[in-house]
Amino acid sequence: MKKLFYSIALSVLVAAGSSCKKVDNYAAPNVTLKGTVTDAGNGKSLQTEQGSGTRIKLLEISWSANPTPFYISSFQDGTYQNTKLFAGKNVISAEGAFVPLVQVDNTGKTIVDKSQTVDVKDVTTVNFSVEPFLRIEWVGDPVLNADGTITTSFKVTRGTADPNFQQNVSDVAVFVNSNNYVGNNNYDNRYTPKLGGNDANNSVGKTLSLTTLGGALPGKRSYFIRVGARVSYGLNYYNYTDVKEVKVP
Amino acid sequence: MKKYTYTILAFLLCWTTACKKLDTLPPSIVKDDDVFATAAGIQAYMSRMYSELPIEDFRYSPERGLNMFWIISPTSATTGEALSRDQNGSMQENTGLSTWGDCYRVIRDANYFAETLPKYASNFTSDQVNNWLGEARFVRAATYFALVKRYGGVPLVDKVLNYPEQSIEELKIPRSSEEKIYDFIGTDLDYAYTNLPETNQAGRASKYAAAGFKSRAMLYAGTIAKYNQITLVDGGGNRLCGIPAAKAVTYFKAAYDAAALLDGKYSLYKKAWAAGDKNAQYLNYVNMFFDASSPENIFVRQYHYPESVHGYDAYNVPRQLMGANGYSSEVNPTLDFVELFDGFPKNADGTIKTTTGGKYDLYTNTVDIFANAEPRLRATVVLPGDVMKGVSIEIRRGIYTGPTAGGISPLLPAGSTAHYPTDNIVQSANASQTPYKLPNGTTMNPAGLSGYFTGDGTNSVSGFSIRKYIVPDKPTSEVLENRSDQTWIELRYAEVLLNRAEAAVELNALGQSDKSYLQDAFTQINAIRERAGADLLTGTADLSINVVRKERKKELGFENKQYWDMRRWRVADKEQNSTIYRTLMPFYSANDGKYFFDARLDERNSRYTFDVRWYYEQIPQGEIQKSQNLIQNPGY
Repeated sequence: MKKLFYSIALSVLVAAGSSCKKVDNYAAPNVTLKGTVTDAGNGKSLQTEQGSGTRIKLLEISWSANPTPFYISSFQDGTYQNTKLFAGKNVISAEGAFVPLVQVDNTGKTIVDKSQTVDVKDVTTVNFSVEPFLRIEWVGDPVLNADGTITTSFKVTRGTADPNFQQNVSDVAVFVNSNNYVGNNNYDNRYTPKLGGNDANNSVGKTLSLTTLGGALPGKRSYFIRVGARVSYGLNYYNYTDVKEVKVP
Repeated sequence: MKKYTYTILAFLLCWTTACKKLDTLPPSIVKDDDVFATAAGIQAYMSRMYSELPIEDFRYSPERGLNMFWIISPTSATTGEALSRDQNGSMQENTGLSTWGDCYRVIRDANYFAETLPKYASNFTSDQVNNWLGEARFVRAATYFALVKRYGGVPLVDKVLNYPEQSIEELKIPRSSEEKIYDFIGTDLDYAYTNLPETNQAGRASKYAAAGFKSRAMLYAGTIAKYNQITLVDGGGNRLCGIPAAKAVTYFKAAYDAAALLDGKYSLYKKAWAAGDKNAQYLNYVNMFFDASSPENIFVRQYHYPESVHGYDAYNVPRQLMGANGYSSEVNPTLDFVELFDGFPKNADGTIKTTTGGKYDLYTNTVDIFANAEPRLRATVVLPGDVMKGVSIEIRRGIYTGPTAGGISPLLPAGSTAHYPTDNIVQSANASQTPYKLPNGTTMNPAGLSGYFTGDGTNSVSGFSIRKYIVPDKPTSEVLENRSDQTWIELRYAEVLLNRAEAAVELNALGQSDKSYLQDAFTQINAIRERAGADLLTGTADLSINVVRKERKKELGFENKQYWDMRRWRVADKEQNSTIYRTLMPFYSANDGKYFFDARLDERNSRYTFDVRWYYEQIPQGEIQKSQNLIQNPGY
C-alpha cells in the first residue's frame, strides 16, 4: 500500500516537473526613454517638484487605440529617464506647471495637441519645449544676514502670453529645507516665508526679497533654498527656481 | 479489500434512486418569492441595504475603509481635529480599499429591489410599496453621494445590469459628468421625499432624512461649483471633474430649500438644557448623543451587542480608563481644535494664553484654566483634569523641578519642535512610573495617569482626550473591542441648520436677495450657539462664510464630516501644507506646587500635507482594468 502511494506521488511529481518545457523567455524590458522639459522662453530646463511635479505621459498605441496611460515622473531639474520600457509606438506628452500640451474644450474636442508620436526603441530621446505659467529668476544669491536669517531676492514673471493661462498668482514661497529635495511637498514651515492673496498676485514683475522666519537659523549646517510660485489653475502646480545651498557656520 | 468494494458499490447504488427531480434549486438559495412575498422578507432586504450603506460612522477611517471594526487610525487624525499615534498625516482614502466596488453592489441591490418589488405589489398596500420604493431610492442616492464626493463623476447605473444578456462592451459604462451625478442624487431624493413616510423605524429613512441628505448633497455641489479649479472633460464633452461656476446659485438654492423642509419637524436637543447654567448645557450636550428619543436625530445607524458592534469606546477612552484589550486614546483633540472655542484666556491672535510677561501663568489644578470654557467644548473634549466616569482625567507632561523665583520662563523657544530639555524636568517613558519626591515630602508620579509618556505614545499625545460619543457610564470591564453599541447619528438637525446657514451666506455672497438670507443664517447660527452655551452673534454684520465654517467645525467635530468639508471648500491644501498641529502640555512645578501650561507644536513632529490631487481621489486601477472606458482623475 505504502509503496503504491509513494510511486504514485513520485510519478505525479515527475510529471509536474517535466511538464514545464516552455520557459518564459520574453526578453526583459531594456529600452530607454529620456529627455528634458525645457522652458521655451529661455531654453533652460524647467525646474519642478520631485514626485508631484512634471511627469511624462505615454500612450502605447501599438496594440490599442485607447490604452491606459503610463507615466514617468521627472527629476526636479526637469529631466526624465526610464531604462526599463518595452519597445513600441507611443504618443508622448508632458504634464506639469506649464501650458498643457493637450487641451480639451468643454465640449470634449481636442483644441491643442502638441504630443509627439514616437517609435520608442533602444535609447530614445524625446524633449519638450513648453511655456511655464510663471518664470522665477534669482536676483543674486541668497544672503546670510548678520542676525542669522537668510534673505532671498527673486523675480516672478509670466511665462506665457496665452490669455487662457493668466490666472491669479495664489502663492509665492521661498522654500527652505535641510536637504536638496526642497519644494512645496518637502520643506520646513518654521523657516519658510510665504506670500498669499493680493501680496502674491501683485508680486508679478517686481523684484522681491523675503527673509526666513523664526529668527536666527540653527547653525553648523546647510540650508537648501528654492523659490516657488503658482497660479490657480488645475492641480495648482508650482513653478520653481533651481536649488541653492547656503551654509550657516 | 473485496468487502470495501461491496460497501462502496452499495453506497453508490443508493444515489441512483435519489434523483427524482433534477431541475430544482438548492434549498439554501433564497429566491425572490421568499423575500418579496412578505413584509418580513422585505425588512430583511432593507436591513442588508442599510447596513451596507456607505456612511462614515464608528466603523470608518480613510486608512481602513467602510464597515471595518478595527478603527485605530481615526478620520479625525487626518483632518487636524485630533492627533493619534497611528495616523500621522493627511491622506486620501486608501486606494487599496474596495469602496468603489462596494458602492456599486449597494446600487445594484437598490436597483434590483426597485425593479422586483412591483411584481409583488399585490401582496401589499400601495402605501407600503411606495414607502419601500422611496427607501430604495434614498439608499441609491446616499450611495451615489458617497461615490461623487470621492471621485467626481462616476458611471451612472440606474437599472440592474445583466451578464451575459448584455455584452461586456455594453457594460463598460463610461463616467458621467459630476453635475449629472449630483442632479441624479437630487432627483432620487426628491422621489424619496415624496414617497417616504413622515416617520420610520429607527435606522431607516423618513421623508425628512431624504430632505436632509438633499441639503447636504446640494451644498457639496454648490461649493464645488464655486470653489473647484480642477477640470477633466472626456471626449464627449462631459465634465467628469468640476461643475460650471454658473450652477452654484442653483445648487445653493436647492440646499437651502431642502433644509427648510425640516422646519418645525425637528429641533435641537435641549432636554436638560437651562439658560445660563453651563453645567446643564454641558450635560445636555453630552446626553444628546445617547438619547434614542432625541428630536434632533434625523437619520441614525443603530448598533446592538452582540450582533452588530463597534469598538469606539475601547479605542478612544483616556489611558487611565483603558480596557482589557490594551487600546486607548487614539483620538486626542489638537490645541488648534480647542482654540476654535471661547471661554479661556487667549492672546490677541486667538491662541491660548499661557504666559504673562514672558513667564508661565500658574494654576492650582489643570482644569482651572478652562473653568469658564464653552459647555460644548467640555462636552466634546476631555480637558486636562476634567471628570469622566467619576474620575479626574490626569494629564501631565512632567514635573518641573527648576528654580521658580521670579517666575518660570518658557521651556522652549516659540515654534520649536524639539523635545523638552531634561535638566529641570522629570518625565516618564511609560505607564510604570517611578514616583518623584516633592519638596513637601509627598510623592507624585512624573506623568499623569493618562500621559504624557515619552516612550510608547499610548496616551494623550495632545494634552486632551475625546469625550464626544464615549459612553459616560460604561464600566471598564466592558471597554473592549467589539463591545460598544451606541447609535451613530449620521444626520442630526444641527447639521441641517448649518447646511442652511452656509447655503444662505453663499447665496447672499452671490448677490441673491429673493429671501433675507443673511438674517436667516444669523438665526440658525445663533440657535446652535445658544444650545452650545457659546457667545451669540450680535448682528448679521458679524456673519461671514468663515464664521459659518468655524461653527460647523465646532459643532460637527469628530463626526467624520470635516474630512469632506475641507475637501469641498478646497481649503485642505492650504490648511495642511507642511503643517504641524499644536498641543497643550501641563507641567507641575514642584517648588510652586502649581501647574503651568506649555502650548507647543506636536512634539512627535507629525507633518500634514494635503496633495491637491486628492480633491478627486484615485479611481482604483483594478476598476479601470475591468472597464477601460473609465478615465482616471487628473494627476494619478
